Amino acid sequence: MCPLDEFEFFFEKEWSDGLPIIPPTEEKINIMLSSIKDSPDEIIGEFPPAFSNVSIYSIAVHGVMAGCKPEYMSLLLASVRAILKERFNLNGLQATLSPAAPFFLVNGPYGKEIKLNGGLGCFGPGFRANATIGRAIRLMMTNLGSGIPGISTMSTFSSSSRYTFCISENEKESPWEPLSITLGFSEEENIVTAIAAEGPITVWDDMSNEPIPLLRSIADTMSHLGSMNICGDTDQIIVFSPQQAKICSDAGLSKEKVKEILLEKAGRPMSEIRNTGRYTASRIKSWSIDADPEDDDFFVPSVKNPDRLFIIVAGGIPGPMSAVMNGWNGTSRAVSEKIYS
Amino acid sequence: MEDKNNFIDPTASTSSQKIKFAERPEDLSGKIIGMIDNTKEQADVILEALGTQLRERFDVAKVIIKRKDHYSKPAPDKMIEDMSREVDVAIAALGG
Repeated sequence: MCPLDEFEFFFEKEWSDGLPIIPPTEEKINIMLSSIKDSPDEIIGEFPPAFSNVSIYSIAVHGVMAGCKPEYMSLLLASVRAILKERFNLNGLQATLSPAAPFFLVNGPYGKEIKLNGGLGCFGPGFRANATIGRAIRLMMTNLGSGIPGISTMSTFSSSSRYTFCISENEKESPWEPLSITLGFSEEENIVTAIAAEGPITVWDDMSNEPIPLLRSIADTMSHLGSMNICGDTDQIIVFSPQQAKICSDAGLSKEKVKEILLEKAGRPMSEIRNTGRYTASRIKSWSIDADPEDDDFFVPSVKNPDRLFIIVAGGIPGPMSAVMNGWNGTSRAVSEKIYS
Repeated sequence: MEDKNNFIDPTASTSSQKIKFAERPEDLSGKIIGMIDNTKEQADVILEALGTQLRERFDVAKVIIKRKDHYSKPAPDKMIEDMSREVDVAIAALGG
């Protein structure tokens, strides 16, 4: 048996994510804190479901453990502030059976400065900022929040996006305005948007040169009968590759127009929902739209409230695919926070 | 707080507060039982059936069922306070 060193010490903790951590020494924590002006003692909020106080100091500790660079601190702060907002319902997300996780999207020049990838391979390994920022948040969720699998986190499968789930938007290669602009912020502002979401489902189309066939496949993936969305009232994210966004843009479609088409096409008739196990009149009556459970021809949109559909551009070129990320639950709404770098 | 390995214990800021379990009654005879319906489908059916069994088999005086707003949100403080005043034994119950 190996002697207990600092790495083994952390591996043995039930809130470990199962990977080695950087031991958080006073020296490393101070370097991490040196990148921001805020006082380390400032309390940002309470982390559910344990409701432990979250200080800026404890965020720095977890940043060190996850392998973050000091310049990531301002994003860690903004991300924690976002998910602790009541509107996000982190308490419910921690407990859920769903594999959903907080997804963080960064807009503005800061993402590029810290090399947060929004291009080729953005959801996968190989990029320190993407890997460690999301990881630091996850370590806080398990350690400060006690979101420990089997104790207070009951996700049936969980998912690899619970290790890390943080990208920037590929603003450089997008033909459309960034999400932050759509949400009312300015180009100079650095914004992180947190959305409770499941991992990306790819939508392949390597043949379309025009938008409608492409959007038809995306709409179908958005509305599959087993998704949280079709029988719920949740957020949904569509990640266009730059190539597929360009096909739409070249045909004269703005992001707003694409959204309108997807809202119109993504859905199922009530008759199809009735044939599944999830059909219950009480659930249908809880939606924000006025739907008649008895009307077989009623078109049930995948996204019931247009404000809950988010279109972003990410990934690399070539990119004959886009991705759909289903939302989690009606009680959780996306939250955007400014990053003060 | 640094330990002998010279690193900070990341759990240092977490407060562990132990809360005592409420005292359990010897038996339920004549007691008022409260249950919180978490809004999942058929929670009402299951809890009604459970209430009937409690009355018939354990001589429970009364069963009060309250329904929270959403299964993914905690019961509101007022509901918990009301429940603590109105019942002898409360059960946080689940639905289907």
